Amino acid sequence: MSKSYAILPCNGLDKLAGSLSREIALRIAEQTGSEIICPTFYRVSDVLYNKVAAEKPLLVIDGCGTRCAGKLATEKALKVAAKINVAEESKKYNIKLGSSLRLGENELRLCDLLVNNILKDELEDKAGQEVKDTVLMPAEIDYEIYQKDKFVFRLPKEGFYFNENDCWAYVVGNKARIGVTDYVQKSLSDIMFFTPPEIGSEIEQFGEAGAIESGKAVFEIICPVSGVVTAINDELLDYPEYINDNPYEKGWIAELELTDFESDKELLLQFEEYVKIMKRKVDEFHV
Amino acid sequence: MSEDTFMGAPRDKIDWAPTIDYTKCNYCMECVKFCPHQVYEVREAEEKRLIVKNPNNCVVFCRACGKTCGPDALSFPNKNETTKKIKEIRKEMEQSE
Repeated sequence: MSKSYAILPCNGLDKLAGSLSREIALRIAEQTGSEIICPTFYRVSDVLYNKVAAEKPLLVIDGCGTRCAGKLATEKALKVAAKINVAEESKKYNIKLGSSLRLGENELRLCDLLVNNILKDELEDKAGQEVKDTVLMPAEIDYEIYQKDKFVFRLPKEGFYFNENDCWAYVVGNKARIGVTDYVQKSLSDIMFFTPPEIGSEIEQFGEAGAIESGKAVFEIICPVSGVVTAINDELLDYPEYINDNPYEKGWIAELELTDFESDKELLLQFEEYVKIMKRKVDEFHV
Repeated sequence: MSEDTFMGAPRDKIDWAPTIDYTKCNYCMECVKFCPHQVYEVREAEEKRLIVKNPNNCVVFCRACGKTCGPDALSFPNKNETTKKIKEIRKEMEQSE
């Protein structure tokens, strides 16, 4: 028997992706004994669903980028165990959704794929991945502290490279560990979901190295270096809040084997340069 | 380093901003509410009720407003091309110094 979830699907009846969310939820529920939470009713009253939401791992299914189901999970302070975004998956698999509100052949094909992915993930979870991180980080990091009102922003003073998109890289030999800066985690506030980059995938400098998500926004991690992903911080799958605790230490994102760091370095900043940019951003935008 | 530059290149020479597909946009204004950089402007009285008013305010490589867009009406330039262009601009600047 596969994992049994509490499923919180989008219920967008005016979009095909919403109807597809519903169909995916139904199929997973049928095959795993999961329970479906009706988002419309949940917004009105949570009594009916409190128990199932507390007892079972939560699977959020969003139809589109508006992320109604994900936002509802944040409002209800639920911990998200797994997530599907139909619009993103349709792009990933290059299966275009039609213009009718009824499910057609393409939509059902995507539905099969996404349901199978969830059931397969469960098996892979059990198998466990033996990919380990290898970048040796300093035992103690010396931080510059910048405070604005009650918010404290830390920034490592030595050994880290940054890009202007508030992500960092720590390079040892031909490997790098990457992550986001305090500016990102403070701007997003409580991070509730981590979408890791795929191990083995090749990422160009400034390409997407996964994403992190809070009730406020989805932040695309903009990779400071080019390389092949060799490890991800899989602890973040269960505890994305580690990024809020410390994005330079236990909240790191991934490790890469570098392909052209000498060239990447030209477009990276060191502490002295990035700290000025971070302070300016904090002063101008942080609320 | 000022906000008029990105990675050392003048911001107005870097082509990076969202493009709105008006056949898809439903004017929900989620992107406007999200973006803190005043990239967009709402024009209630006009047919195109939303425009990209300040493309150079857009943070290069940021596509976050696109991820708030339900009807998927926002698109961005190719990142690799943009990186290449930034490198070219920097090279030209070095040579002219």
